[in-house]
Amino acid sequence: MNKWTNTGQGPGLLISSVPGPTATGLGEPQAEVEETLKRIQSHKGVIGTMVVNAEGIPIRTTLDNSTTVQYAGLLHQLTMKARSTVRDIDPQNDLTFLRIRSKKHEIMVAPDKEYLLIVIQNPCE
Amino acid sequence: MIFLVEETLKRIQSHKGVIGTMVVNAEGIPIRTTLDNSTTVQYAGLLHQLTMKARSTVRDIDPQNDLTFLRIRSKKHEIMVAPDKEYLLIVIQNPCE
Repeated sequence: MNKWTNTGQGPGLLISSVPGPTATGLGEPQAEVEETLKRIQSHKGVIGTMVVNAEGIPIRTTLDNSTTVQYAGLLHQLTMKARSTVRDIDPQNDLTFLRIRSKKHEIMVAPDKEYLLIVIQNPCE
Repeated sequence: MIFLVEETLKRIQSHKGVIGTMVVNAEGIPIRTTLDNSTTVQYAGLLHQLTMKARSTVRDIDPQNDLTFLRIRSKKHEIMVAPDKEYLLIVIQNPCE
């Protein structure tokens, strides 16, 4: 049975995988993703890490459900706006990274074709 | 006071990799720029809107928090926005890879 099947039912359902050996055909790339997320999460100052799909639905997170859903929705919208700002200025350009620094922490968004990687950290002053 | 502002803008503009510097007021109208008129007006309008959206995103998450800086990195260059109560400072640079 493929443990990575996502039923896609609303923002309340978050799939977190069982680490370790994965289903047939998903082995290496999946392990790499897991390792990367772990590495980022264990970095000094990192408060939370999440992966959001193209519809703004979080598919991986290290934070609680309600915080994740809030961040995912708002940052997905903001990233879309940032991307269209970049393209309005130059249609051949594209957004590669977004850093939103606030008084309390910093949010970093790495957009991709299908996903957003969001990391929230306390910047080292 | 104005002399200090001028000096700061000059210092930023002369930094390696900086393509353009501009100051935009609270209504999105550019009041200082080192770029041509049409480019400036385009950047000012779009970035003013984006900054407002970023600021409200931060406040929606936590009403006691506020936006202090915004960095928009694209394939071709990087745009940095430093918002203030009354102004936005916008700098466009080629990041040193």
